Amino acid sequence: MARYIVRRLLQAIPLLFIISILIFVLLQSSGDPLASMGGKRLTRPEDRARLTRIMGLDQPIYMQYIYWLFGNTWVQIDVDNDGTPDMYGQRKGIFRGDFGDSLVNRGQPALDIILERLPNTLLLMIPAEIIILFFSLVIGIYSSLRQYSLTDQIITAGSFIGYSMPIFFVALASMYIFAVNFRKWGLPYLPTVGMFDPKIGKTFSQVAMHMVLPIVSMSLVSISGYSRFVRSQMLEVISQDYIRTAYAKGLSERMVLMGHALKNAAIPFVTLVGIDIPFLLGGAVVTETIFGWPGMGRLFIDHLNRFDTPVVMGILMLISLAVVIFQLITDIVYSWLDPRIRYT
Amino acid sequence: MNQKSIYKILALIMVASFILTACGSSQPSAEKVITIAWTQEPNTLNRSYSSMWYMAVLTDIYSCWPWVFNQDNEPQPSLLTDLPTVSSDGLVITMKLRDDIVWSDGEPITSVDFVFTHEMITSPNNTVDSTYPHDKITISAPDAQTVVMTFDEPFVSWMTSTWLGTLMPKHILQPVFDSEGTIDNAAWNMAPTVGCGPFNFTSWESGSTMRFDKNPNYWGPEAKLDAVVFQFVPDDAAQTAACLAGDADICFWPPYEDIPAFRDAGLNVMTEPSGYTEGWFFNFRDMASPGIKDVNVRKAIAMGLNREANADLRLGVVPVTETFWDAIPTYVDPSIVPYQYDPEAAKALLEANGYVDTDNDGIREDKDGNPLRITQGNTDKTERQSYQALAQQQMKEIGIDLVTYSYNSDILFGSFSDGGPAAVGDLDIMQWSDVPYFPDPDTSYWLCSDIPSDENPYGYNYFGCDETLDALFQQQIVEIDPDARQKIFWEITKYMHDNVLYLGIWDDGDVWIVNPLLTGVKFSGVNPFFNIMEWDKTE
Repeated sequence: MARYIVRRLLQAIPLLFIISILIFVLLQSSGDPLASMGGKRLTRPEDRARLTRIMGLDQPIYMQYIYWLFGNTWVQIDVDNDGTPDMYGQRKGIFRGDFGDSLVNRGQPALDIILERLPNTLLLMIPAEIIILFFSLVIGIYSSLRQYSLTDQIITAGSFIGYSMPIFFVALASMYIFAVNFRKWGLPYLPTVGMFDPKIGKTFSQVAMHMVLPIVSMSLVSISGYSRFVRSQMLEVISQDYIRTAYAKGLSERMVLMGHALKNAAIPFVTLVGIDIPFLLGGAVVTETIFGWPGMGRLFIDHLNRFDTPVVMGILMLISLAVVIFQLITDIVYSWLDPRIRYT
Repeated sequence: MNQKSIYKILALIMVASFILTACGSSQPSAEKVITIAWTQEPNTLNRSYSSMWYMAVLTDIYSCWPWVFNQDNEPQPSLLTDLPTVSSDGLVITMKLRDDIVWSDGEPITSVDFVFTHEMITSPNNTVDSTYPHDKITISAPDAQTVVMTFDEPFVSWMTSTWLGTLMPKHILQPVFDSEGTIDNAAWNMAPTVGCGPFNFTSWESGSTMRFDKNPNYWGPEAKLDAVVFQFVPDDAAQTAACLAGDADICFWPPYEDIPAFRDAGLNVMTEPSGYTEGWFFNFRDMASPGIKDVNVRKAIAMGLNREANADLRLGVVPVTETFWDAIPTYVDPSIVPYQYDPEAAKALLEANGYVDTDNDGIREDKDGNPLRITQGNTDKTERQSYQALAQQQMKEIGIDLVTYSYNSDILFGSFSDGGPAAVGDLDIMQWSDVPYFPDPDTSYWLCSDIPSDENPYGYNYFGCDETLDALFQQQIVEIDPDARQKIFWEITKYMHDNVLYLGIWDDGDVWIVNPLLTGVKFSGVNPFFNIMEWDKTE
C-alpha cells in the first residue's frame, strides 16, 4: 500500500504541471486585466503601457509562465520605456513559495488573499457537506426500505422538485421568504446577507444565524440528488443473496442494513463524495455571491472576471492538488469498504 | 430507521432553529452605526492604486481632499483656506493650507505631505494605477502651508483630476519607501489606520465588511455617527433584499425594476447626476462598415431608436441624454435639437440616400447591393443586453440589421495587439457608460493621437480621427478663459451631434436608496459622501 501511495503521489507531479500550463495559457489568452482595472472608465494608454511593462504582461506567455514558476528577480524592467532599466522584478515564483502578487489587489500576495478566505469557505462547506451526507443517507435508506410507500412517493416527488430548482432560485426565494417577508410579517426571521450583522459584531450566534440560509439552499439541491442515488444503490444491494443470508443467520435488521447493505451500497457513493470534497475548497460560487458570504467561490469569480492570473491560478492549483489527494484517499477507502480490493 | 426516529430528527432541527433564532436576535449596541451595502469590494484603500469607482468614493470617509464638490458639484475648500489661485497664464496654481489640519494620529498635515504624495505617484518604483496628471506637474512647497503646482502649458481640468483623495501621510509611508524602495506593499495601502477624514479606518475583512469609526482628531465638524460599515453584497437582488429587510441602511445603484419596491417599503430613493452617460459611440474608422461611415445612416439610427421608451422602462428615474456632456449642460450648445423618435423620417432618409430593400427580406441594401448590416457591442451587463434586444427590434423596423455582441469588459476593451474588438474596429457601434473629467468637460477619447495601432496598442480612441474635432479638443484643454472654453465645447457638442459621432441613451447618474431614519444625507456626483459627518440616525 505504501508503495502504491508513493507511486500515485509521484504521478501527480507531472499531472499538476500539465494542469498548471493549461490553466495559465487559458487565463493569459482570455482578457486584459489592465483594460479598465475594474473602473468605470478606460485606462489611459500611457498607464496601461507602463503597468504592462512593470507586471511583465508584455512578455510572451511562455516567459510569463516561467516567471510564475521561477520568479523574475533576475530580470531588469524598464518602467518608463526610456531604454534604461529602472528596477529588478520582484516575483520569486511558486518554487520559492511565491504565487505572485494579485494584479487586482496590487502588492498583496495571491496566497495571502486565498488563505484569508479559505477558513470562511470551510466554515460554510464542511457543515453543509455533513448535512448533505447525513440527510442523503437517512432519506435514501428510509426511502429504499419503504419502496413505493406513500412516504417514498412523497420523498421522490420532493427530490425531483428540489433537484430541478436552480440554486440561485432556491437561495433568493429562501432569502425573500425567511429574511424579508418573515420580518415584515412579524415572525422570527433570518438575516439576508453577510457573515454577521455589523451592528452586533462577529459573534458565534451571529455567524451561525448567517450560515442557515446558505447551507439550507446548498443542501436542498444536493440532498435531492444524492438521496436518489443512495436509494437506488440500497435497493440493488438489499435484493442480493448475501443480505437474505444475513437475515437467515438471525442478524438484527440494523446489523444487516448498517453492517452489510450500507457498506456495499456505499462504494459508488464514496466515489461521488471523493470527487465532491476537493471542491469544497473552491467554495460555492452562486451561494456565496447571493448571500455575500466571504468565501473562495466569490473570490474566484471576482478575480476571474478581472483576469487576475496569480489569484485564479492559486485557487485552481489548490483545488487540483486537493483532487489528487482526495482521489487517493477515496481509493484507500475502497479497500476498507471492500476487502477484495487490493493495491500493489 | 423508523418513522419515529425521523420525527425525532425533524423535531430536533426545529428546536435548534428556534434556539439559533433566539441567540441571533441579540440587540445591537447603542452606538450609531450605519451599514451600507456595497456591490463591489475595493481592491485597496490607497486611491493612487485603484481605478475603481467603488474605492474612490470611500476616500471622502477616511481621507481628505484639498477641495470637495458639494451637492451642486461646485468645489468648496476643504484642507485649504480658500480655493487655489491660478496665475494669469494658467501655469501656476497655488494652494494655501489651513493651519489646523491634522492626521488622525495628531501629526499636522503640511505641504510636505503633498510633495511626498506627488513623488510617490510619479516614482517609477510604484505601480500606481495612473500617474495622470502628476506627470504634467512640477510641485514645490515654499512653506509648510503653501503648495505650488506648475504646469508646462495650461491644463484647465486640474481641479477635477488632481488630489482626488490621494493624499498620503509622509510620516507613515516615507520609512516604508526608504526601506523597501516602493510603497506597493505598504500595510497602509490596505489598512490606512492613519487618515484625515471624519472617520478612521478600523477593519477590513476580505469579502465581508469594512468598518470606519469616528475620528476623534478630525479637524472638521465632528461626525454624528459612531461608525460606518460597508457590507460587500455582490448580488443586486441580495442587495435589494438587504435594504428591504433593513439589514442595510443604504444601497447603491439597485436594479431600476426594484425601485417601486423600495418606495412601497418607505425607503428614500435619491438620484444625483454623476456625469456618467450611457451612450452609443460610433466607429468611423476605415475598417468600419460602409453604412456606419455614412452620416445619413447614423442620423437614421438616431431617429429610429426609441430612447424615450427605454427611459420609461427605467421608471423615469433616468432621463434620455443626447450628448456626452448632458450632465454639465453649460457646455452643451443650446441650439442642439435632440433627435426625436421618428421611424418614418428615418426610413425616408435611408430611402433618399439609396438604401432600399431590393430583395424584400426586411433589410435594406446599399447601392452596391450590400445589406445594411451594422455591428453593435457592449459589456455583458444585463441591462445593456436587454437594451440590445430592444434596439435590434427598432433598427429592424427601419430596415437595418443590427448584429449585437456582448463581452466581458476586459475582453471588449482588450488592446489592439490582443485583438480587443473595440480596439481593432470590429464593432460599428460601441455602448457603455462614460464620463468626462466631471464636472470638468475635458476628455481625450476622440484625440487622433489615441487611435489604436501596432505602434499604439493601448490607444483608446476606438472611434476615428476627425481633424476638426481633434483640433477643438486640443484647443479646449489649454484655453484658460472660461467663456472661450465654453464656446469651444458648444462647437464640439454641435459638431458631434450633427455628425452623430456619439448618441446619448440615458443619464447614468447615481441612484441611492436611503433608510428614512437617516437624516442630513446629501450626495454629490463627485464626492458622494462629502457631508457624511453631518449624517445622523434617529431611532
